[in-house]
Amino acid sequence: MIRGKYALTLALPKGRNLKDGYAALQRAALEAWHAEGLELPPFGAERALIHGEEGRVAILELRNADVPLYVDLGIADAGVVGKDVLLESGRDVYEPVDLRTGYCRLSLIRHPDNTGPIRRVATKYPNFTARVFRERGLVADIIELAGNVELAALTGLADAIVDLVSTGATIRANGLVEVEVLAHSTTRFIVNRQALKLKSDLLRPLIERLRQQSQALAEG
Amino acid sequence: MIPEGTRYYLPPEARLRRELAGRLTELFHTWGYELVELPALELYDPHHVLAERSFKLVDKTGDVLALRSDFTSALANMTLAFPPERYPLRMQYAGQVWLREADAELGRVREYTQFGIELIGVSSPRADAEILELAWEALRALGFAEARIEVGLPSLVRDLLQSTGLSGAQIETLRQAIHHKNIPELSSLLEAYRVSENLAPTILALPDLYGGREVLQKARELSLTDKATADLDWLEATLSLLPDVPLLLDLGRARRLDYYTGINFQAYTQDFGLPLLGGGRYDGTLLPQACGFTVGLERVMEALRLPSEAGVPDVLALDRQMAHRLRAEGKRVELAWTDDLTALRHYARERGIPFIALEGRLEEA
Repeated sequence: MIRGKYALTLALPKGRNLKDGYAALQRAALEAWHAEGLELPPFGAERALIHGEEGRVAILELRNADVPLYVDLGIADAGVVGKDVLLESGRDVYEPVDLRTGYCRLSLIRHPDNTGPIRRVATKYPNFTARVFRERGLVADIIELAGNVELAALTGLADAIVDLVSTGATIRANGLVEVEVLAHSTTRFIVNRQALKLKSDLLRPLIERLRQQSQALAEG
Repeated sequence: MIPEGTRYYLPPEARLRRELAGRLTELFHTWGYELVELPALELYDPHHVLAERSFKLVDKTGDVLALRSDFTSALANMTLAFPPERYPLRMQYAGQVWLREADAELGRVREYTQFGIELIGVSSPRADAEILELAWEALRALGFAEARIEVGLPSLVRDLLQSTGLSGAQIETLRQAIHHKNIPELSSLLEAYRVSENLAPTILALPDLYGGREVLQKARELSLTDKATADLDWLEATLSLLPDVPLLLDLGRARRLDYYTGINFQAYTQDFGLPLLGGGRYDGTLLPQACGFTVGLERVMEALRLPSEAGVPDVLALDRQMAHRLRAEGKRVELAWTDDLTALRHYARERGIPFIALEGRLEEA
């Protein structure tokens, strides 16, 4: 139980958004929490699962898909996560800042030989995919895979896939075609509904700073 | 085995649940709210707010029944079936509701215990202030002196969105962006939908209009429609009746705009990420005029983090007369089941019962 132990608990995802997210938060925190004397805890290679000292700011290092859940249920007050994960999770959290990093897209990908209607689609994003198909009035079996989704299109397991694309190199290298972009994704700063109000002295200035940084990034 | 989403409540939790329930029932009673009991079995109604998510059963006639999933609509139906002689009508309820699908917020639970009140037949800032103050008293009675009630004004959001003249689908997209305080998206949507220069900055300001009572003043500085101004007047009149209740405001609250027609609110407590109670005004949705709130007992228990060990009796009694006397003094006394003193001492020591009452005297166990 970590309830009440830290001034603020932040959830960061392992993997591609960790470095950018941490850097953005650290920079914003430096100015936003100057008066409180708080800062982001150092984030070394140690094996701790919770970083930070009691009574100060803590960081939880989580699997990407777990970040919205930790924030929605209030274990973490705020977090950093890709919009793709947020779309899949359907969690009811505040999403006040687009950090404008980690750009990628969720796309419908097919083998060029597959031109008929889609009967079966494989993905790591089953909720998102089901929603898109439902909105278009399409009926298809959706199979959830744990990884290597391209393989489903190559082997004929599915006649289309929905997957994350950043440069498109993997897709092209395997002779697949990005048929349609279904959603664009960037890294977002998300906040728990209660925490935004009850810890607004810490979160409000942080959001303000993050927005300025993101604006500068957009104009830069 | 018990069904998924149900659970046993063991000591001491079951007792504490009863105790908290008693406090709420008593508090509501002192405010003039009369207790009613409603059937857990209802006739299935496809227009019910939670129709899709309720448990269904088939009656012997072949009719479909549903397990109660919401008290507010059940009370509304009762009021329509038995119209009261006069209004305002104040009612309180307590009991279980069931949902077929677990609610993401509540984890895997599918059987919930709710307590709440409804103030029916009046619509005024005074009535809104009454339920807000009672919600605050309920939180204090449950031991959440540090909790805060956050008030939103869905009517304001709805009136502003409707005056854009956009289609229902577009308004819904805007509502979601406001609900998530997603300013970048809201900003690009307002541009894409070509919302007028008068309204766009006001709508864009909504998500950040949260904080203390000063928020109201900030809202007044925006360019507002007549309807929106009237919504704010109502809220201001409500708040001015409650100078001593610590309230938070969030004018960007945009949940269930088709249901709430005035204020809505939730209560939060420090370091617990889920709301403790929720309510608001819903004139015309079920009844012409009604407002109220609901407290979720499971949520309250989780937030209170109560002791996990059951209490131990004070005395184990072989002497029944003495047991009577001690109980009258407020002691908790278990009766001995045997004359075998060795077995009794052994049992008392194992359970941590400090005394044995024997032949008119108390002995250490």
